[in-house]
Amino acid sequence: MSAPDAPREVDPWRFTGSFLAGLLSRMIPAQPAWTSIPWTPVRKPLSRSRVALLSTAGLSMKGDPPFDMELERRSPMRGDPSWRRLRADATSASVEANHLHIDTGYLLRDLNVALPLDRLRELVAAGEVGAMADTHYSIMGYQGNDTSTLERESAPAIAEAMRREEVDLALLVPV
Amino acid sequence: MGLVARVIEAAGVPTVTLDMIWAYQNLVGMPRVAAIEHPFGRPLGDVGDAGTQRAVLRAALAVFERAKAPGHVEHLPFRWHEEPSETKWHPAEPSPIIALLKRRRGEPGAADR
Repeated sequence: MSAPDAPREVDPWRFTGSFLAGLLSRMIPAQPAWTSIPWTPVRKPLSRSRVALLSTAGLSMKGDPPFDMELERRSPMRGDPSWRRLRADATSASVEANHLHIDTGYLLRDLNVALPLDRLRELVAAGEVGAMADTHYSIMGYQGNDTSTLERESAPAIAEAMRREEVDLALLVPV
Repeated sequence: MGLVARVIEAAGVPTVTLDMIWAYQNLVGMPRVAAIEHPFGRPLGDVGDAGTQRAVLRAALAVFERAKAPGHVEHLPFRWHEEPSETKWHPAEPSPIIALLKRRRGEPGAADR
């Protein structure tokens, strides 16, 4: 079990291995590359808020088109930039996972390791969270060197779908 | 995911990103980050560990109520139950980009790690 510990800074490279740590840390500037960060104030307490989850695990409901891994196998600098809707009752048995950068075996045994729908339902039942959205979302996290479709098409479409369902808070869960 | 957080936040839905690589913050500028020291693929906790999954979810959601300004990074106090040397998260085959980079570095057949 993971146990809470004294406050300390999270080591982002603890589990990555040195090759990936070197690769990723070289992409990150020493100073912020941005000049501003968007901000929407939280309007309600958590206990009255509707929460939606968004995973980067390449999840799709069985029967829906899966994320396309052949694109990345042919062109390693590209990744499927599309998005999928997931039902609130999705489980590891009802989803497919396509992501070439992680071992998806864990979430296919227990979806909550990456998309904690059961845990969210429990917090709603306990009154800690107001409601869970009927729809949750997935993208596939690896986008290679072109994030334009994800940023200009998929992310705005997900945001619009959340607004239509009157989602108050979105928890984004990269894998 | 940072780019997606920015777009959703800008569209009017507050976001928290539960992030293992919170160091990306300088690259992308996420509105609210809950940093977690867990291996790739299992950000909430291990298979069947509902207690940790619930505690991590609760801690990440609490960041919505604590963050008062954009760019808030909160370090969650969870420790993974295995040492890195015994934690397996890699795919069975190296991803195409990792395989390509390792071939370029002259490591044919090198594992994805």
